Parts: sequence; structure tokens; C-alpha cells
Amino acid sequence: MVSYIARRIGVSVLILIAASFIMYVLAAHSGDPLQDLEGSSSPNKQALIQARVQSQHLDLPSPVRWLLWLGGVARCIVPIGGGCDLGTTFQNQQVTQLLPEATAATLQLVTVAFVLAVILGVALGMITALRAYSGFDYSITLVSFFLFSLPSFLIAVLLKSFIALGYNNFLADPTLSPLALAVWGVVVGLIVQLIVGGTFRKRALTFVIAGVVTAAILWYMSITKWFTQPSLGPVVVIVFCAAIGFAFVALLAGVHNRKAWLTAGINVAIAIVCYFALQGLLNVSSIGTLIILAIASVVVGLVVGFFVGGYDRGLMMRIGAFTAFFTSGVIVLDRFMRSWPAYMDITNDRPLATVGGATPGLNGDVWITGLDTFTHFLLPTISLLAISFASYTRYSRSGMLEVLGQDYVRTARAKGLPERTVIVRHAFRNMLIPITTLVATDVGALLGGAVITETVFGISGMGRMFVAGLYSTDVNPIMGYFLVVAITAIAFNFLADLTYSALDPRVRVR
Amino acid sequence: MKITRKRVRPVLGAVAVAAAAGMVLAGCTTSTPSSEASSSGKTITMAQVNEVTSFNYNTPQGNLDINGMINYMTQPQFFTLNQKYDIERNTDLGTYKKLSNDPLKVEYTLNKGDKWSDGTAMTADDLLLGWAIGSCYYDSSKTNDNGDVVSGTQYFSTAGGCVYQTDLPKVSNDNRTITFTYKQPYVDWELVNPIQLPAHVVASEIGVSTKDLTKAFMNTPAGDADNPAPANKTLEKAAKFVNTGYDTTSLPKDKKLLVSGGPLVVSAWTPKQSMTLVPNKYYTGKHKVNFGKLVIRFIADANAQVTALQNGEVDAIQPQASADTLKALKAASGVKIQTGDQVAYDHLDLNFKSSVFSDATERQAFLLTIPRDEILKSIVTPINPKAKVLDSQIFLPGQEGYDQSVKQNGSSEFDKVDIAKAKSLLAGKTPTVKILYNSQNPNRVDAFQAIQASAAKAGFKVVDGGSPQWASLLAGGDYDASIFGWVSPGAGNAMLPQLFQIGNGSNYNNFNVKEASDLAVKSQTTLDASKLLDIKMQIDKLAFTNFYGLPLFQSPGLFATNSKLKGVEYFGGQTGLVWNVWDWSK
Amino acid sequence: MSTIQGNLPEPTLNDDASDGQADTKKGQSQGRIILRRFLRSKVAVAALIIYLLILVFSISAIGIGPIHGWWHYTYKELNPQVNQGAPTLSLWPFSLGEHPFGQDRIGKDYFALTMRGIQNSVLVMVVLGVFATVVGVVVGAIAGYFRGWVDAVLMRITDIFIVIPALVVGAIVGRTAGGLGAFGLAILLGLVSWMVIARLVRAEFLALREREFVEAARVAGASDARIIFRHILPNAVGVIIVASTLLIASAILLETAISYLGFGIKPPDSSLGLLISQNQSAFTTRPWLFWWPALFIVLLALCVNFVGDGLREAFDPRQQRFSLRRTKETEPTEDEAAAQVNAANAANVAGTTIDDGPSRAGVPDGPASDDSAGGDSAGKPDGGGSSGSDKDQS
Repeated sequence: MVSYIARRIGVSVLILIAASFIMYVLAAHSGDPLQDLEGSSSPNKQALIQARVQSQHLDLPSPVRWLLWLGGVARCIVPIGGGCDLGTTFQNQQVTQLLPEATAATLQLVTVAFVLAVILGVALGMITALRAYSGFDYSITLVSFFLFSLPSFLIAVLLKSFIALGYNNFLADPTLSPLALAVWGVVVGLIVQLIVGGTFRKRALTFVIAGVVTAAILWYMSITKWFTQPSLGPVVVIVFCAAIGFAFVALLAGVHNRKAWLTAGINVAIAIVCYFALQGLLNVSSIGTLIILAIASVVVGLVVGFFVGGYDRGLMMRIGAFTAFFTSGVIVLDRFMRSWPAYMDITNDRPLATVGGATPGLNGDVWITGLDTFTHFLLPTISLLAISFASYTRYSRSGMLEVLGQDYVRTARAKGLPERTVIVRHAFRNMLIPITTLVATDVGALLGGAVITETVFGISGMGRMFVAGLYSTDVNPIMGYFLVVAITAIAFNFLADLTYSALDPRVRVR
Repeated sequence: MKITRKRVRPVLGAVAVAAAAGMVLAGCTTSTPSSEASSSGKTITMAQVNEVTSFNYNTPQGNLDINGMINYMTQPQFFTLNQKYDIERNTDLGTYKKLSNDPLKVEYTLNKGDKWSDGTAMTADDLLLGWAIGSCYYDSSKTNDNGDVVSGTQYFSTAGGCVYQTDLPKVSNDNRTITFTYKQPYVDWELVNPIQLPAHVVASEIGVSTKDLTKAFMNTPAGDADNPAPANKTLEKAAKFVNTGYDTTSLPKDKKLLVSGGPLVVSAWTPKQSMTLVPNKYYTGKHKVNFGKLVIRFIADANAQVTALQNGEVDAIQPQASADTLKALKAASGVKIQTGDQVAYDHLDLNFKSSVFSDATERQAFLLTIPRDEILKSIVTPINPKAKVLDSQIFLPGQEGYDQSVKQNGSSEFDKVDIAKAKSLLAGKTPTVKILYNSQNPNRVDAFQAIQASAAKAGFKVVDGGSPQWASLLAGGDYDASIFGWVSPGAGNAMLPQLFQIGNGSNYNNFNVKEASDLAVKSQTTLDASKLLDIKMQIDKLAFTNFYGLPLFQSPGLFATNSKLKGVEYFGGQTGLVWNVWDWSK
Repeated sequence: MSTIQGNLPEPTLNDDASDGQADTKKGQSQGRIILRRFLRSKVAVAALIIYLLILVFSISAIGIGPIHGWWHYTYKELNPQVNQGAPTLSLWPFSLGEHPFGQDRIGKDYFALTMRGIQNSVLVMVVLGVFATVVGVVVGAIAGYFRGWVDAVLMRITDIFIVIPALVVGAIVGRTAGGLGAFGLAILLGLVSWMVIARLVRAEFLALREREFVEAARVAGASDARIIFRHILPNAVGVIIVASTLLIASAILLETAISYLGFGIKPPDSSLGLLISQNQSAFTTRPWLFWWPALFIVLLALCVNFVGDGLREAFDPRQQRFSLRRTKETEPTEDEAAAQVNAANAANVAGTTIDDGPSRAGVPDGPASDDSAGGDSAGKPDGGGSSGSDKDQS
């Protein structure tokens, strides 16, 4: 194992060096680094050109410059002669200083989108596989192909123009017309009946119920000014918590498991009590408090599960932890909502942002800054999510279909295991195996693809650094960007291979 | 027994964890922060494309517009340009006056009570530093072709270069006045601003006292490239700090770098996102600002800037002017738009060394086919309906002398396309003309296509020489004509020899009219305004009568602001939006 | 497809009950079976037809090269503004008007520009796809067939290219080669997009070269080249076609993205991505400048994706074997459903025979579903399946 890892790292480093050479030479020859100066009318043009030639070693051929650059990178690993040096930009800025800031902005954007894309994509893929060749399957297939075919900037521009500006304009007079209510009702009804499926009668009934309920809720939200002063209120919080408990019991243990009911019930009860008891603490919370509370809630869930325990203690602890974590999420969500009016005030009643990662100079508590991050990253995240989750859906659908046809699934079914157990315990796990490969290779692509999302939403991350560098043939920032992306890609591939061997005993690493 | 113990241990653990968590929780809470104090005044937010890279604009690497804007608001200025690019003296900082014409002597005096933003008084030490940076007085360097210094020392490197030479200045006893004696008359002496960086900061950064720094300036002899003296260590350190010490990517920990002598001072910087400036409390002059905070957001994408303005996230933008941007902004509610011209202009130059255009008749014939009006109508008119074809190679509309010069420079011959005349001049020849332009700039592409179509009617075969690398091809001369743009600073006369002097590095089209060349050189030492105007008009005329090429149009500019923001006025110069930041209010 | 005939070691795909018995009749080549199966997918066929129609339409409208099309404007000439540049197209009553798609800022006919954009975008798709496929197949075939150090060297080279995201290297290549026009750009982009196919082909070759028919050919004295091209390659054609189709689908998005960043095809030539990029500020004011090219980008990409999906199902019918719904509804009208029901009723024998079919050609010793996985991920050429090689080695 150790020798395998050592060998892998050795090979990766060599690959990285070779790839960096290609990248460097390509980037260096992609344009004229002196173009802006040669076209300038400055009286000391020659001096300016010479200054840049000197500082960037432009008089040397590009392979030699690459060697110099590589020497600087090597010093990041082996600290001899002045430490890390990734070169400077034309503006004499150290790339080593620029890179962390840029990387942070990009990671903030990519991480959430990535995680959501995987979860959503896999979930949808599974559902479509379980309902293969149904209307729902076909609609999801169509939608995912459509998203797959959308250029990423198109979706970004549309989100910005319609959702951000549109929703902000709507907030100026947040009342829904009867027509809008009807349209929403019909749309939601159609979607829900597709998911539920069944006979025509059942579908029609589902459609009507879902449509009417949706319209009613929206109407209620509209007349109570919910859009400008949102909150869940005690009733909805209790309902949500109960629903979460029910969902985890049904999903993980099955509705006939009494111990599971008990575990979930206790946790939901604790959550409801906490909802009323902790409001004072939440008001003065910082990010640290919230993290501690999150950990505490998981611990409480585990402890409850442990004591209810019984023969299936591990399962009970899982149910407890999940229930506790997600019910406390509802409480936090409710608290965030109650800070919304204050946040609306700060943003002049136009909360959804179209540009940047934060309101400059914002000075507020964790709830306000949390909302600020939310409003800034919502749309870029959606646009990244939309294009990347489509492939996961397709992928996990075909993976699930394949797994469901395997012998062991048949065997499991044959020995009379309930459908839930077959899918959650047998099929799901095996379906994940090929997904890990896709996840790993997708990380690099997502980082690369973020270039465009960053451009449209004015987020100055790594992509921006790369594009700006490329425009002026400024090689050092381009290479800084390359380093981060390439190392991430290699690292994730490596991780994927390890995960692979952990999930699939047939694969062995040597 | 065993079982109970097993059960108890986790319980104890859980209790311990809970207790610990409770204690940490208590430490982790915050008191509710007070909402933003509105008493300090309003916040104004504006957008800029590039991020700040240096607090010193006047270095080769720091010479970006955005750095210039920050310097403009945070450095003392003896003068500023007004909307018509005239010099306006800032007597609240100090005064300057010309003592004599030959030799040209100028005296600068700081007012009593001028202070930097850390409370230190401004003195002649600061003026001396400004002069040392701008004059290259001490340089004794010789460089080879690669720009490597082969002998002597080069101290300060500046973006503007050494455009004037003076003797060592005289400093008055009260240390507030400095007198420059120029070695030869300098036409743009009024554009010399001898104060930029605080001398006490530079001194303390290199670990000496301000006095020692001044002493180093006074005692180091003038540079002599043929007999270079050994470098002065203090001066060398000071120069090194000024050259690179202000370059940064985030708010410097060393607050001394932020010391300001202008109306605003940098207070915060979120890298990649925004920079915040607040009023300088030691600034008492007439440029005092009327708001509490100026936030500059860095938004690289022009379209993103437009949406951000529509969505109220920024108050002022200066987007690239296009008809669509303009229309979109007009459609948005609560947005105020101002259009105008920039100090940049596009022009067609004929290469005097090319085989086709070394002949004056063919130059004339080609210029007669240029559809300037059509080009203007397709590119500029949609943005600025009042725009007119540019008719001078030297003056811009609105500047003194433009109207006068246009009347006499012979540009009227090219007001209209005259295919018939061009044909008769060509007398049946069908010369091939290769035009160099930036194929990535849609305006240039459009202009090229229009010229190509029109010139073809007279018999010219116009070949597409467009290239993304146009700039590096300019000097090579492998073309017959070129379309590109000049950006002039708005004021000053440094452009004249660059464009018209024979052999000058920027005279790309090898314009070789001796008379114009001599006049251009002479202009640089002409102090008398009316004589200077006369010289410029003569050059302008020579350019047209020798068929230098044709100016096409002035680039249009566009400011858009939130209607709540008052006081923003259009300005075409390089400081852009912020040129009158002190007039803004909200 | 006829070359496939005779090389198949065993009658394949006979397990695919859902396709009925027609497929397993004697005398049908694999190629014909696959074609039949593809034609059965109505969506895929419709997508293919739409794609070809768009292409033919764009070529006939403005012509190609020196040949003029039926449309009376070219994408180069400047025309006086009609109707302020707005589209004159009217659907009811139908009339094209002077400029059906409108005009751009300087009066060029936007219909002609869009058609030219389609031509260029399709050119990029096809040239990139073909070029990358050829390179990928050659590299993968050589690596997989010869193994040993040749394989190691070629796969490390593949890894080197895979490390760099396609958009990044594409942007750099585009900036260098933008002036070369669509064809040059496509070739250069193809040079950096072949890695996924190389990996898939290699995996395929690693498995196939151990099969009896290859052994037989070798014993018969066939040369390496003959074995590679006449015997193994035809058997790997399914994987190759599917992967390159998806590569083509991603090619148009890659070209669009690069043009959007300003590193792609340069004016006065046109591509769909370039048109959108040039006109994005017109999004609210003159939306047609934005929507026409956007429409065709999505349409073209969608068509290729559906064709690719159809091909994938045609080549790889395993996925159709199981449907939970059919199992539940227990309608034994088809053999497939019957088999499933049997399986569900603990009739293990039936299930086993179904699974033992040899249609799983293609996956060497790696875990199941690796090849279909690769096929899907090829939609993003940036690195699909890049961890494959290391697994295979072990």
C-alpha cells in the first residue's frame, strides 16, 4: 500500500511537471506579452518594454523561462533559497499572494455546487431508474439532456436577468395575481403527478390535490407578506421536524420498526423544545456557536439512538443523528428567515445580488452575513449545479439499472427482503462505485468550467485570474491557476481510486 | 455489571462533552453589533474593471488606470484638469509660479498647515522627493539592448520617463518652497506635479530620518553616464522602495503605505472584491468630499456592471460604450446616463515607406475614398448622437484651437467620399493596399470593412492585414495603411514629436515631412502659448496637405449612475468617473 | 459496418430479450442489428434528422466556399438597417421579410451570420470529433495491443493531457489559433480532446486481444496491423462511436465557451458562440441577437446528445433488461419480463443464464459498468474515466 502510494505520487509529480511544460509553452506563445506597451504612446515606451522584459525574463526562450518557474515551484516543496516563488504578474504582484485569495473565492463557489450536484444527481438518477421508462423518467431524461446541452454562460445570464432582477422587482410589490397562482398550481401539480405516477385516476387526483395545495400555500404567503417577512413559525417548525423524523424512519428502518419510531420521536421532541428554549442563545450566536450546536445535536442524536438501541443499535444511532441534525437545521433556517427583513433593509429591498461574493463593508451578525453569502452565491451555484448535475443523473440512472439486474439483487429479492432494504442496502452501495470515478474527474472540469460562471457573476476567483492572464499573455498567473487545478484533479483521481478499492473488493491497489 | 459499565462510559462522555460545549458556547457568542452608523454619512459604491495593484501609479508596472484613480484621490495635486482639459490650480494645497522664461524657473510653495493623513506636515522634503522621482537627475546608467544596466546606477523608474531636465532645486529656509531651474524651456512645465509620496514615510520605510533622506538628495551629484559615481546607498534604498514597495495585493499591514495627502484615504480592501476609501480628516482643501465612504467594487465583466447598477448594487459605472448597453441602461428605471467623448481617437495612417503610398497622388486618392461619415454613423452615432467626424490630427473638439485649426488645415477636402476624383487621380491604376488593424476590436473591424468596400469602388484592392498582434506589427512597417487608436492625456504636447518627428519610435507610418518634423521638435521648448498654438496649427495643416492619413472619430464614453447619486459629471480623461469625486453626494 | 461480419467469435446479444427474437436470427450482422435497434429509438432518429436538416439548411442558405446559396445576402456585406434591425420574420401569415433574423449593429444580415455560425460550429464539432477519435483510437489501440512499455509511455502521455481541463487548454489554443479559422481551431482542439477515447479503446483492446479469435488470427500469421485493424478494431467500434458522439456534443459547448471568453473564432467570420459573445450586451435591448444563436447551439447539442444516447442503447442493450415497473406489473408478455418475474420468484437458473451472455465484451478485469460509465462521461472530455488506467494495471 505504502509503495503504491509512493509510486503514485512519484508518477503524479512527473505528469504534473510534463503537463506544466506544455501549459507554459502554450501559454507563452498564445500571444504577445508586450502588446499593450507596443501600442502605447508613452514617451518612455522603450524603457517600459525593457522593464517588463527584464522582470519577466522575456528575452529568454520559453522553455528556459519554464525551468526558472519550475525552480521557484520546487522551492515551495524544498525550502531552499527564499521559499515559495510562483513568479510575479506584470503588475509586480506575487502569484503566491494572489492565489490563495482567488482559490478561496472559487472554492466557496464550487464546493456547494459540487456537493449538491452529486447528491441531487444521484438521487434523481436513482428515482428515474426505479421508475424507468415512465413518464417521469422520460421528463427527467429530457430535462437533463436539455441542461446538458446548455452553454454554461447562457444559464448564468438567464438566471441573472430573470431570477435576480425579476425576483427583486417582484419584491417591490410582493403579491401574486390569481393567474400566477393558477399557473404555479398547474406546474407543481404536473410535476408531482409525474413523480407519483400510477394509474390515470391516481395521477389526476394527485394533480388536483398538489395544484390546489400549492396555490393555497402561495396565496397564504402572498397575503401574509411572507416574501418580505418570511418565517416558519412554531406550527410549521413542528410539522417539519415531525416530517423529517418520519422520513428517516421510513427510509432507513421501515415504518414497522418501533424502536426507530421511538428514536426519531425523542429527537423530534428535543428539537421542538430546543426551538423554544434556544432562541435567546441563537440571537447572540456566532459561527462558532452554530458549529458547536450542530455537533451537539448530532451527539444528542447518537446518544438517544444508543440508549434506545436494542439489537440494531447502529441503525438507531444513525436515525437519531440524522433526525437531530436535520431538525436543528429547520430551527436554524427559521432563525435565518427572521433576519430577512433586516437584510432587506440593508440591501435597499433588493436582496438577490448579481455580482461579487459579498456586500462590501457589510457589518452584521452571523445571520445577516449568512444571508448575504446566500444571496450572492445562490444564482452562481444554481448555474453551476444545473449543468453538472445532469450528467450525474444520467450516470446513476444507468448504473442503478445495471445493478438492479445483477444476481445478488435478484437473490436479495428472492429471499424476501423488503424492496426498501434491497435498494438502500444492496443496490445503492454498488451503484456508487462507478460514480466515484465520475466525481473525481468532474472536479477538475468543474474548476475549469467555473471560469465562465465567475466571469458572468463578477466573482474574482481563479478563473478570472486565468482569463486576465491569458488576455495579456501574463504567464505566471496562468501557471498558478494551472497548478491548483491540476493538483486538485490529480488528488481527486487518487482519492477516487482509493475509494474505489474500498467500495469494490475486486479492485486491489498495489 | 459489564453491561452497565459499558453503558455508563458513553453517558459520562456525553455529559463531559455537553459541559465542555456549553462552556465554549458561552465564549463563542457575540453581542449584537450595532447597525451601520448612518451619522458618518452615506456610502457611495462604484464599479471598476481592474483591481488595484499598487499605491504608486507612477511605476512601469503600476501604471494602470485604477491605480491612477486611487492616487488621484489620495495624493496631493498642485493642479487638476477640468472638464475641458484645462489646468485648474489647487491653491488650497499651494501655489506655483513661473519666475523666468529663459532659463525656465518655476517656484512651488506649499501652504502652511498642509498635512498628510497621519498628521505630519507637508514640507519641501516631499517636493524634493517628488522632483527626484520625476527628473531622473541622479541616474548615471547605461543600458544594453535588453534593458540590463551595464554601468552606473538607475534609481527611480517611472511610467512617464524623464521628460524634463533641471538643475538641483533650491529649497527655501522655511522648508515650504522649492525652485526648479530647467536646463531648457519645457513646454509642459505646468503639468509637472512635484509632490506625490510622503517623504517621511519613504524615509522611515528605509530606516533613515527624513533629514537624512533630504541630505542624500542634496549631496548626491547629478548622474553622469560616462563617469558614473558609486551609488548612494540611501538613495538606492529609497528608489527601490518607491519602485516596488507600494505594490501589493491586499491591504498592507504597514499602514504607513496608506498615508494620503488627498481628500480620501484607503481604509479597507477585500481582495478581489472591493476597496473602501474614507475621508482624510487632515484634508481641509476645496476638494473635501461630501460622503462617508467610497466603495470601489472590482467587477471585470462589463455586462455584470450594467446589471449590478440596474439591481442597485453599485451607484456609478463607466461601462464600455455600446449602443446596446446604452439602450439597456435607458430602459432601467432610476438610472441616469451621461455620454460624451473620450480623449482617445481612432485614425487611419498611411505608411509613407510603403511602395503604394510613397506616392502622394495615391495617398490622396485613397484618402478620398474613406467613408468617414459612414464609419462614424455605424460606430459612434448610436451612442452619442451629437458626435461629429474628427477633423484634426492634433486637436480634439472642445480644446482651444480645434475650430480654428479645422478651418485652415485642409480637412474639408475629405469631408465627403469622392470616388470620381479618386479614380481620376489613380488614372486606371489598381493599387493593392494592405491595412493593419486589431482584428479583435469590433470597431476596427467595422471600420476596415467599410473602408474596404468604399476603396474598392475607386479601384483599390484592399487586403485584410488584421491581426490580434497588430501592436507588435505596427513598428515593422509591413503594411500600407493602419487603423488604430491613440489615447492622449488630454493636456500637454508630448504627442507632437512622437507622431511627426522623423525617426521617432512612435512615428509608425514614417511620416517624413521635414518641416513638420522640425516644428514638432521646436514645440517642445516653446513656452509662449500663442506661438505654440501657431506651431500646432501648422503641423496640423502639413499633416493634411501631405496626406498623413485621416482621423476618424473620437471614442465615445458613457457614465451611468443611480439617480440618487448627485454630482457626477462626464469627463473623457483618464481619471474617468472619479475626476470630480468631491462634488458627489447622495 | 460490413467489416464486422465474420469477426465475431460467438453470436452475441442473444440475451437481449426486449428486442425480441428478430435480432438473433441467423445471417444478420451485428451492424445491422445495431442499426435496427438504433432506428427503433424514435427520439434518436428524429434528432439525427433534425441535425442533418439544420446542416443542409445552413449550407444551402448561404452556400459554402465560392458557391452561392439561395439566400440573397452574405454574412459579410453591410446592408442598410431595415425595421431598426429587428427580425422581419413573421410566422402567421408566414413571410421571411428582408432580414428574417434581423440585423446586427452594422447592418449585416443576421440570418446569414447565424447560418455561417452553424456551418462553423458544425465544422468544429465534426472535425474535432473525427480528429480526436482518430488520434484516440490510434493511441489507445497501440497501447492496448502492445502493452508493456509502449502502453506505459502512451498512457502517461494521456495522463499529462488529462490533467489540464479542456476549457483551459482550449482557451489557450483558441487564443493562439483563433486566427486560423474554424478548421484550424478544430484540429488544434482535437489535439487536446482525444484522451477519453484513447483510454476506452485501450481498455477494449486489453480485453479483446486475449480472445480466441485474435489468437487464431495470430496463429494464422496475420500481421500486427492486420490484427489491430481487421480483427480487434471492428469489435471495439461500439465504444468508439458512442464516445466520439458524446465528444462531438461537448465540442460545440467547448467552442461556445471559448468564443464567449473571446479566444475562439475571430470576426468577420462567425460562429454561434462568437455571435452570442458579441451580442450579450444586447440581451435586453435586441434579444434576437442573443436568442437565435442560443437556440441553434442548444438544438445542435441536444440533437447530438440524443443521437449519442440512441447509439449507446443500441450498442449496449443491457440497460433495457430490467425495469422495476415491469417486474411489479408482472405482465409476462415479453421474455424479458417473464425472466424477471422468474428471478423475483427465486428461479435463479433463469437469471443466471441471462447474465452469462457474452455481450459484456469490453470490460477487462475492472468492475462492472466501467465501459458504459466511460461512455457517459465522455460527454465531458475533460477527464472522464481518467482513473481507469491504474485500475486496469493492477
